[in-house]
Amino acid sequence: MSELAQLIEESASRLFERFSDSDAALEMEAGGFPEQTWQEFVADGWLTTMLDEEKGGSGLGFSGGCLLMRLAGYHAVPLPVAESLLANYLATEAGFKPNDELLVPAVLLQTVQTKQVTLQHVPWARHASAVVVVFSKNKQTHVSVIARENLSVEYGQNMAGEPRDEVTFDADLLRYSEILEYISIEKLLSWLSLARASQISGALQRVLERTVEFANERTQFGRQIGKFQAVQQQIAVQAEMTYATVCAVDVAIEYLASPHEKDLIACAKITAGEAAGYAAKTAHAVHAAIGFTQEYPLQLSTRRLWSWRDEYGNEAQWAAKLGENCMDLETDNLWQWLTTHTG
Amino acid sequence: MQALNYKPVHTSEKEAALRKQVRLFLAEYGPFDTPNLIDSWSVCDPKFSRALAGKGWLGMTWPTEYGGGNKSYLERYVVIEELLAAGAPVGAHWVADRQSGPLLLRFGTEEQRLEFLPKIVHGECFFAIGMSEPNSGSDLSSIKTRAERVEGGWLVNGSKIWTSWAHVCQQMITLVRTSPPSDNRHAGLSQFIVDLNAKGITLRPIVNLAGEQHFNEIFFDDAFVPDDRVVGELGEGWSQVMAELAFERSGPERFLSSYQLLEAGIKTLREANKTQQATIVIGQFVARLMVLRQMSLSVANQLQAGKLPVNEASVVKDLGTSFEQELAEALRLILDREPRSTAKTGVERLLSDAILKAPSFSLRGGTREILRGVIARGLGLR
Repeated sequence: MSELAQLIEESASRLFERFSDSDAALEMEAGGFPEQTWQEFVADGWLTTMLDEEKGGSGLGFSGGCLLMRLAGYHAVPLPVAESLLANYLATEAGFKPNDELLVPAVLLQTVQTKQVTLQHVPWARHASAVVVVFSKNKQTHVSVIARENLSVEYGQNMAGEPRDEVTFDADLLRYSEILEYISIEKLLSWLSLARASQISGALQRVLERTVEFANERTQFGRQIGKFQAVQQQIAVQAEMTYATVCAVDVAIEYLASPHEKDLIACAKITAGEAAGYAAKTAHAVHAAIGFTQEYPLQLSTRRLWSWRDEYGNEAQWAAKLGENCMDLETDNLWQWLTTHTG
Repeated sequence: MQALNYKPVHTSEKEAALRKQVRLFLAEYGPFDTPNLIDSWSVCDPKFSRALAGKGWLGMTWPTEYGGGNKSYLERYVVIEELLAAGAPVGAHWVADRQSGPLLLRFGTEEQRLEFLPKIVHGECFFAIGMSEPNSGSDLSSIKTRAERVEGGWLVNGSKIWTSWAHVCQQMITLVRTSPPSDNRHAGLSQFIVDLNAKGITLRPIVNLAGEQHFNEIFFDDAFVPDDRVVGELGEGWSQVMAELAFERSGPERFLSSYQLLEAGIKTLREANKTQQATIVIGQFVARLMVLRQMSLSVANQLQAGKLPVNEASVVKDLGTSFEQELAEALRLILDREPRSTAKTGVERLLSDAILKAPSFSLRGGTREILRGVIARGLGLR
């Protein structure tokens, strides 16, 4: 683990460890929000993790943000950690004043031709003070910050019960926008998927730990089920895919801002998505009926894995893009393409 | 539970320059014959090995006093991955360079090093691995080949099997029992350097299902091995074998055996009207390859730092051999071509070779089930 990762883990774990049982998550799913922990999260300065120091942030950038998102994924934190970090960063980069409010990101892909704009699956919109809407206009990326009072919000949730709301607002509001330099819509979509891959990499580690722990405790036929080869072999593959994901995400983080950022993020999301399904399946097989209950905390992680693997592009969608890129080579040689992407 | 470490690695200008050199070399020697492209590290071409030796690419990481290049593991990595990706016939020297040489460096006597390492570096001495026996495969410590003490050395009796290229190699690192089995199954095993041309040794060729002959069964009938050919400590054979595993299991040969099929498959798809489904399959395999390569590079870098990440290496091998096996299974469904064993060139031939050779990928060097057992133990199960 890098020094930065260790530093983030040591200081943020104190907050995140509070969510080790199902209660807080179930409260969230019922529409609640852990306000006090959120306030501490903000007071500890995590909200501005990605901002440059001259803008009042910690200067850790997106790579530091990803490490915090991984940790939040590990603890299945019922807070919009990834979303708030990114939205705060996007708004500040576009020139809006940094503040301590909860902002969440939304991407508007089509050109607006109606009076009202509706966006689907906006994360945590119901609890946000504003939605940071990113869109394209005159070949530039624009950012509008649409305040909560101007939004009509229809509640929706992903499989983990995390808010994914439908928001509607007046198209006129998009006239008040700032230009976001350096970050295209395409890049932002890619970043959002790396955010999910980072969360998945954390959740996978937690699920693996729970699975090993359970297999070593649960006794059937007179011995711990972890002693059975059939069980061991499945958990071994789960571990392989878990660490492949950690590696893929680490590599994508390492090569942010390189010309191949997008392809490496695609690799990370594909790897994470494949691992998510296998890990959830295996963990539930090992835990058997108790893992299928709401009370047992395994589901906090597995429902997130099932949700996150599809958000901002699933394995097939990213593989289609990656496949297109690597088959479209002028050099007619995949090997060259591969070896110029990373060291 | 100890987390596995695959910290990302950056190669430098030095490696990039070396990569260029290897590509120039390959442009001169390649492209290689289609029937030799799949699993090219099982294709034996002593002349090609000597050409590599001429470039200083055998024994690259070894100290210069033994003829080595004193280069880093990352530099060696760049050379071998370029050769493997091109399907170059590197089988003759592969074991000596990857495994036997490093074993002698780690455990051998000064005399053994001076005797063998320069010859390996010059492509004049190839090594085979003598571990498996007819009744001992995954259960390696159950081997029966035994050595009895006689004046000046040992008399070996028994047999070894699945020994690749023993009929071409001069020497074989051979695991034998030097004291009777005891409660400690791993005790009493030793490694010998056996001269394959010595008296009392006979070879029986074994043809594999693809019609190739690189396997052998080797019989020892009172074969004499002098004392100075014992590697390391007598009775420490098991721990010495274990120490090789991180080298043996983590390299790019564990996922590049069928790589040329991917290259040819992409070419075929580009010439046809590829479907969305085909593009997705290619993207999924390229993603796996990209990540495997990073994991493998990371292990190489840890080896450079003097660590022996055996669990990390086992993961690379299991994921890697699954990749190289599944590649053929996936491509046959999107290429719209039938595998053809009689074709001399083309993707049909590569498909055929990749399918026929695939079973061995996850058997050699520790079966899939053994590796997963190792990983499970590392996780704290068992």
